[in-house]
Amino acid sequence: MSPIEAAIWLVLDPYVLMVIMTSALFGLFVGCLPGLTATMAAALLVPITFFMEPVPAIAAIVTTVAMAIFAGDISGALLRIPGTPASAAYVEDAYKMTGKGQAELALGTCLVTSAIGGLFGAAVLAFSAPILAEFALQFSSEEYFWLACFGLSCAVFISTDAPVKGVVSLLIGLFIATVGIDVTAGYPRFTFGSVELMAGVSFIPAMIGMFAVSEILRYTTTISRPVEATHQAIVHIFRGLGSVLWRYKVNLFRGNVIGTAVGILPGAGADIGAWISYAVSKRFSKEPEKFGTGHVEGLVDAGAANNSALGGAWVPALVFGIPGDSITAIVIGVLYMKDMNPGPTVMLHAPELLYAVFITFFVANLLMLPLGYGAIRLSRQILRVRRAILMPIILLFCIVGAFAINNTVFGVGIILVLGILAFFMEENQIPIAPAILGIVLGPLLERSFMTAMIKGGGDLTHFFSRPIAAVLGVITLAIWAWVVVGWILRVVRSRRAPLGPEPAD
Amino acid sequence: MRVNDAVIGVVLVVFALAVIAYTRTFSAMPGQDYGPALFPVLIGIGFLVCGVVLIAGGVGQRKTVPLFSGGEWLRSRHHTIDFLAVIGGLIVYILISDWLGFIPTAFLLLFGWLVLFRGGKPASSAAIALIATLVVNYAFTQFLLVPLPLGLLRPILY
Repeated sequence: MSPIEAAIWLVLDPYVLMVIMTSALFGLFVGCLPGLTATMAAALLVPITFFMEPVPAIAAIVTTVAMAIFAGDISGALLRIPGTPASAAYVEDAYKMTGKGQAELALGTCLVTSAIGGLFGAAVLAFSAPILAEFALQFSSEEYFWLACFGLSCAVFISTDAPVKGVVSLLIGLFIATVGIDVTAGYPRFTFGSVELMAGVSFIPAMIGMFAVSEILRYTTTISRPVEATHQAIVHIFRGLGSVLWRYKVNLFRGNVIGTAVGILPGAGADIGAWISYAVSKRFSKEPEKFGTGHVEGLVDAGAANNSALGGAWVPALVFGIPGDSITAIVIGVLYMKDMNPGPTVMLHAPELLYAVFITFFVANLLMLPLGYGAIRLSRQILRVRRAILMPIILLFCIVGAFAINNTVFGVGIILVLGILAFFMEENQIPIAPAILGIVLGPLLERSFMTAMIKGGGDLTHFFSRPIAAVLGVITLAIWAWVVVGWILRVVRSRRAPLGPEPAD
Repeated sequence: MRVNDAVIGVVLVVFALAVIAYTRTFSAMPGQDYGPALFPVLIGIGFLVCGVVLIAGGVGQRKTVPLFSGGEWLRSRHHTIDFLAVIGGLIVYILISDWLGFIPTAFLLLFGWLVLFRGGKPASSAAIALIATLVVNYAFTQFLLVPLPLGLLRPILY
């Protein structure tokens, strides 16, 4: 049996199909509700996937996230509150379309472009991952060191407009990763005699704390204003859609390409993909003045981009073990726990698993059309669910999930500490994503550095001794040089500005 | 809860110095230039640099950004209590769940949170808390085989 055939059977297993259906409904529900993000959905799933086989575990995460990213558009269009951050870029247009009585067209566009975007991202993933994996098989610790550096650098500089705060976040993640027995010498670091800290800060409680508990804390501090969903009948969401998609076919393709590309870059995911493609759409539009007033054009671009970014983010995750966004960072943590180290060797040892991921992506995005239609029809009921009831139950779920990993309350302590930390970070515009990448990639970074140094006898030039490593190294250093020089120039200019001559009127 | 960048910077600098000082106690790897202390020291230096940059930037904007600005929710007693209830509830769970057992602890915490977040409604909150506790308990102990603590209910449940 070929690996592809084996993968099809793996996914068509009734248990896996049931997992996919359940996760789809869970994802639509979570995505639709403002304040519950797609990343939070993935983090909440992790303790459950911990008890599953790899294929259903990954299928659950892939399906949930794809559905959640689409469903975020629903509350954006109806309440002007994006259900997930990935829908924030075009929430204004979607909501104003509803105001003009075009809720059906807005939601139909979001649903169909999301499904097309998801399929496009999945296709890119399915075609590029096996080829890249073959190339990546030649990589050694030097290349992995630079890849980890490159991934972390991208995470810092893409996810934030204040690079210093991105670096702070990254360092926090890397520091958390150093807690526990050191990877090469076996020395206990920052454990202060605690046996539980020797194994390090467990990954699952860390995710739950940073993505779920912090969101609950933010919920308690949100001064809520009453919002009323529209009373328009939303039935014929596909009416008039064909002509819109045909008119904006270039936008659709461009959104797919931009989204996938942003997804592939480490550290940037669906939300940044949507912002960039919305901006590009406006820049090249024939009628840019209509953007933000309830114009469908930006929805086509960005609606496709955020879902295609999901597939793109899996490319570096599966090929190199470098996560493309926070969600694939969670996936990589799950794979490590299942003793399946992501990276090119998965292609050798378990190619059927790789194909199963691709097939799940296609299945999930095709399922999105009927299930998403159902979710849109039920949206008014879903949006009526009281978050005051939901949040305490989610919090209990966080506690049990954190407990379940080692069966000690130590995990509950981790979600508490990291939940508060993540809450303060976000309040002060310090992004969370670089910290997560730091936690996941920290051990890889340190291990590959140490291995290369033991091979090279402590000579730092060893990192440039192999051709691919040298290229990767130069690129990474160039990114840093560009950012640092740019920052210094800006500081110098702002210092000089007040002393300079007054501009003439 | 927004603070001036300079405050974050000071915290980072202090933390960095503590980390670097603590790594002095790590033992070196014999025969190797780089030991277990290397990465923590590099991270510490990184924190130090970022801290100094943030202090410089924060001092520059001290006229527009106050050292500490609480945000609207800190002035609302109801929101502050909700916030503290989440943190307090987690601490309570850590302290007493092993002794009291999962079902009573979870029920009490859920009930407390529900009453606070919904602003009253004790009867329906008790019902929701009970159902949610039993469902979560059943799912995790029966399907996922997680040994949630039995606590005081041990003699009854066994």
